[in-house]
This record gives sequence, C-alpha cells and structure tokens, in this order.
Amino acid sequence: MTPLPPLARTVLPFAGAASLIVAWQYLLPMAGVPAYIVPTPTAVLAVLARDATLLTGHFWPTALEAGAGFLIGNLAAILLAVVFVHSRVLQAAYFPVVLFFNTIPILALSPIIILIFGLGMTPKIVIAAVICFFPTLINMIRGLDSAGPSEHELFRMLSASRWEVFWRLRLPRSLPLLFSSLRISSATAVIGAIVGEWIGSDKGLGALIIQATFNYQSDRLYAAIVLSSLLAIGIFAVVVAAEKVIVREG
Amino acid sequence: MPDAVRAVGLDVGYPTAREPVTVITGLDLVVEAGSFLSILGPSGCGKSTLLRVVADLLPPLAGTVEVLGATAAAVRSRRDVAFVFQDSTLLPWRTVRQNVCLPLQVARSRLTRAISDRSEALLDLMGLSGFGDRYPNQLSGGQRQRVAIARALMGEPKLLLMDEPFGALDEITRDRLNDELLNLWRRTGTTILFVTHSIAEAAYLGERVLVLAANPGRICLDRDLKPVKQPQNRCTREDPALVAVMAELRAALAEAS
Repeated sequence: MTPLPPLARTVLPFAGAASLIVAWQYLLPMAGVPAYIVPTPTAVLAVLARDATLLTGHFWPTALEAGAGFLIGNLAAILLAVVFVHSRVLQAAYFPVVLFFNTIPILALSPIIILIFGLGMTPKIVIAAVICFFPTLINMIRGLDSAGPSEHELFRMLSASRWEVFWRLRLPRSLPLLFSSLRISSATAVIGAIVGEWIGSDKGLGALIIQATFNYQSDRLYAAIVLSSLLAIGIFAVVVAAEKVIVREG
Repeated sequence: MPDAVRAVGLDVGYPTAREPVTVITGLDLVVEAGSFLSILGPSGCGKSTLLRVVADLLPPLAGTVEVLGATAAAVRSRRDVAFVFQDSTLLPWRTVRQNVCLPLQVARSRLTRAISDRSEALLDLMGLSGFGDRYPNQLSGGQRQRVAIARALMGEPKLLLMDEPFGALDEITRDRLNDELLNLWRRTGTTILFVTHSIAEAAYLGERVLVLAANPGRICLDRDLKPVKQPQNRCTREDPALVAVMAELRAALAEAS
C-alpha cells in the first residue's frame, strides 16, 4: 500500500471521530436506544455547559489526586529501580517480593488503603501512586539494564565512575522505556484516583459518577466520563511534550 | 621507550557461569612501541579475547601481560589505551560531535575551546566535517566507524586496540578506511593492534602479522612484513610480494585448522 498524503493523514482521524459522533447523535436514537442509557453528544455537551461549575468543582480534586499519584508513584518506582540495578543483593532479596505484591489486584487493596488513610485525598493519591508504581519499576529496571556489553566496555575503557556510567549511559538508555511506561501511567493514574473516589468520597469525578448513576442522571454521568478522559489526555500530553524535549535520537 | 605489549606465558579466556574457558595458552608476545600489528585468525581462536586482556577488560587466566611498561589496569585507568569495537558503539542520543567528545567528558575535562577545536580537527581528519550535528542513525556504517575511530583518538591514546572494526562494512568502504587508518598511524605514531579475520586486510595493514590457530589457541605464524613494505609500511594491494604474503598466511591458516 502506498502511504497517504500528509493532509489526509491529518484530516482523516478527525473525520473518523466526527463520523462516529454523528452516528451516535442520530443513529442511536433512531435505533431506539433510550436517552437514559446513551444520551446524545449534544445532550452531554449541554450538561457540560450548564453544570460547568459543579463539574469543574469535581474535576480539580481528581486532577490533583491523579497528578500527585502519578508523580509520587513513578518517582518512587524510578528511585527503587536505580537502587535495584546498583545492588544485585537488594534486587535478589526484594524484587521477587515486589513482583508478588504486583499480583495483588489494586482494586482489592483499595478498601484497605482507605481504612488506613481515611476519606480525604491521601488514599486516592496512594491508590493512583501504587497503580503507576509497578509497571514503571519493571520498565525502568529493564531500561537501566538495557545498555549492551560493548557500551559497558566502552565506559570501562574510559575509566568511567559508577556515577558517569549511570548518568551518561544507563539513564539515557532507560528513557525510551521509561516514557513508554509514563504514557501508560497517565491513564492508569486517573483510573486509580476515580476508583479511590468510588469507595469513599463526596468530591471528585469518581464520586460524581457514582451519584449520577444512583440518580439516573446519565447525561451528567457521561459528562463526568468525558472529563476523566480529558484529564488522562492532559497528563498524556504533558508526558509526550516532556519526552520530545528530553529524548533525542536524531 | 617500553614495549607496547609484553606478554609472558599468558593464558587468556573468558568467564562463564561455571568456570572460565581457556582459549589461548602459554602465549609469549612482544609488540614494539609504534608498530602496527595485525592479528589474524578464525572465529574462536581467541584473538578478540587477547585484545580484551590487553585492554584490561578481562583478567588474564595465567601468566603476565605488561602494557606500555605498566600493568594493563594502570594503563587503562590512565586512559592511555583506546578500544574500537566491531559495532561502532556510538551512543544514539548523542550527536557525532558529542560522541567524539565523550572520552574527555568522562575524564571530567571541562568542554573547553581547545577540546571542541580538537574534536573538529578529528572530524576533519576522518572526513566527517559537516557531520558534527548529525545523530548516529543518520550515518552510514562506514561513517559510524569513522566516528568511533575519531572518538578513540580524542583521548590521544598511546595504544589503539581495534577488534574487527571494519568487519561489517562493504569491501570498497573497507579499503578506503584501511588507507585512512594507515595514514593516521603514520601521522600519530600510535601503536595499533588490529584484529581481523580478513587475510587481505591483515596483510595490507600490518607491519607484522600474527596468525592464531584455534583449539587450542596459539600463534601458528609470526610474520614480519617490514622487508616487504618499504618505506613506512607502504605497498599496493596488487604488489606481488604482498600477494605472496597473503598466500603464505592462507596456507598457515589452512594448516592450523
């Protein structure tokens, strides 16, 4: 297949999305899907405009929890990965334990986290952080260890210190894997914050989703979903922008 | 001036999970300072392993090796020895210029004007002027290997170890780089140990050729080519004397394996 011209490649994704929205707007009601199950896009937009104050009031707590959880979880994972690749003893002793914890579904753990940290923002941040932590830890360890034997030999020939090897070889080598993990975390951090809010909260998009569901306000429910998706896209965009600045490979 | 390399009763091998595998036993070798030595041999004869022992990338299993009159470790930590690998081992996130400056950055020299002038001069010397801002993935295989050589020369090494540096290149590029390497050697006076499995390359480059045999690894021919190549290790590829040497090397290799 010949590649599409650049203009088509820019326009087609928007056209594709627009066609689905049009189908949603007109075909679903025609097919008899009731508005309390799937409200039309215009109805959702109307709620976004009408309830803007209410919605932003619920948006910011979730954004704060997801953002803080994203930062804390990933930072902790990066630091632990650095410790592990520099101490084979610690890695051998504790990495299997870490892997075991990773098998516990975080959703099953969240009631306990809420019992420990109460009903404020802290447990949501903790859940978002934990959900980001494991994939980044594993990717970061792999990334820091991904320099090849001849690259390590090159640095040995240069009599490089451990710090030089870390700063000029291991860290830059790890960045592509780290960023692919951060891209995924940008969505999972939001999931973590929302799940935390489901279990016990009166603020945040998660709380709003639960309330709207119980009150059969499906247009408000969809508006909350749109906002959570926008939040994840926002964090994702920040990650991609940071990657563009930091990772350079020609 | 001390000899570049002086090995006595040297056993070399590489470590494995269980016990080290010995590939060369009882090697005695003296390499004069400033000379160009080709080391030729089939895969598995230990020629790369020998180079790694001289570089202090691997410890010797027995015997002693003296490099530039000191221990291999001392010479490596003084950064008097540089290594050019078979794959160029350029760091993909650094530009050509940044790759060439790496040795001095790691040696914690500040990036002074003198250093950047030197890196530019080396890029010119290797035919890479104008490529300083490119990234490795924007270069051909031959260009990448030139950058690797420029990087090795950046630290002004007294001994240059080259492990099949042109093994992955096409023959035309390889011939050109061979000529450039000889010019470089005549200019700098650096001792070069050049490992290859190409008979033509070994004969054309070396003032002296060492043919290694495998199982067990040993020297099966030590041929001085100075009488053939005068002056200053010069000859043409079609020189009958060189062609005769190549036949001799081929026969030694055949006998050894």
